[in-house]
Amino acid sequence: MHFYWTSTVFALIAFGVLYFLLSKYAFGPLMSIMEKRRVHIQDQLAGAEESKKQAEQLLEEQKAAIQQARKEAYEIIEQSKLTSSKQAEDIVSAAKVEADRLKAEAQKDIENEKNKAIAELKTQVGQWSVAIAKEILGKEIDASAQQAIVSQFLQESGGKAKQ
Amino acid sequence: MHQLPIVEWLGMKFDLSSIIMIVVTLIIVLLIAMLATRKLSVTNPSKLQNFVEWIVDFVRNLIASTMDMKRGSKFVMLGITLIMFIFVANMLGLPFAIVTEHTEPMQSISVTQESIEDAKEKGYAGAHVLWWKSPTADVSVTMGLAIMVIFLAHYLGLARNTKHYLHHYIEPHPAFFPLNVIKEVSKLLTLGLRLFGNIYAGEVLIGVILLAGVFGILPLIAWQGFSIFVGAIQAFVFTILTMVYISQNIEHKH
Repeated sequence: MHFYWTSTVFALIAFGVLYFLLSKYAFGPLMSIMEKRRVHIQDQLAGAEESKKQAEQLLEEQKAAIQQARKEAYEIIEQSKLTSSKQAEDIVSAAKVEADRLKAEAQKDIENEKNKAIAELKTQVGQWSVAIAKEILGKEIDASAQQAIVSQFLQESGGKAKQ
Repeated sequence: MHQLPIVEWLGMKFDLSSIIMIVVTLIIVLLIAMLATRKLSVTNPSKLQNFVEWIVDFVRNLIASTMDMKRGSKFVMLGITLIMFIFVANMLGLPFAIVTEHTEPMQSISVTQESIEDAKEKGYAGAHVLWWKSPTADVSVTMGLAIMVIFLAHYLGLARNTKHYLHHYIEPHPAFFPLNVIKEVSKLLTLGLRLFGNIYAGEVLIGVILLAGVFGILPLIAWQGFSIFVGAIQAFVFTILTMVYISQNIEHKH
């Protein structure tokens, strides 16, 4: 084992040259690339964080909107339930009223018809009785006077019949 | 066992094998780094790019474990260069060695008649000159790296942290000054010699196992594997100790 200082000096020079070349042409650019990547990743992370926040906010908004919609739907259903039951009642009561009215009208009609029929019958009976009386008596009497007598008679008998 | 190809030039002795191997290490490290960083991409890194990025992260974590990263980021490049250079250097000596045998004296690489006689006495045909080895199996190289690191650490301490740096020599009492100086000198020696010792011993043992011939195949495989582990550990240890020494000298607290 000998010590040659020339080797020492050469090693130092070689090391210096290697250091210079490596830092200038190899690891300098490499480290700048690594730094760029670090910045890139940080940007991406920040972007992802931002997107996440936005997504969360949107989700929150969506949730609120759904809640709102649900509430509104519930209200609408309640409203329509109320309205429909009220409408049903209305329809029923209207129908009842209509039915009552129709009934009353019908009764009135019946009454009218009855009265008319009675009146007609009265006239017919009067005429018939005049004709009968004419036949029986063989003589003409004043038709209007006859009518009055018949009416009076019928009135009395009708009154009796009613009683 | 082997002798080194020593060349004399301008009155100075150069160890050709170390110089060649340092250059080879340099070229391999540069090749790896250049190939890995040829097509850099932020979003779609290649496998090699991932690998060198792993090295960068590894060294960053290593520095972060010894000092505040605000100060430490300046030393990332130093750590990367150290760990790659030393790891590649440690690996170079493992797969093979190149040895030339000289029966005639060759003055240009210091193969003398005397050294040939020496080798012949030991039963070899001629003097063996070792060309291919780990550069870190040469104490001159590892001490060079250690001197650089220790010098850097002390310079940074003196320039950036003058008061605390100077004060720590007389801690806890001025009488401890000699001990503190010894401590600093021993840091230099241990840093350089630890690396040299581990790698050199590994190569020597490989040489010894090779003498066993066929019976040496299994132990050789085991020892080669272990040497890869040792080489990686030593590269790691050298780098982390560098950072520890630097941090000791630039930190304010004790």
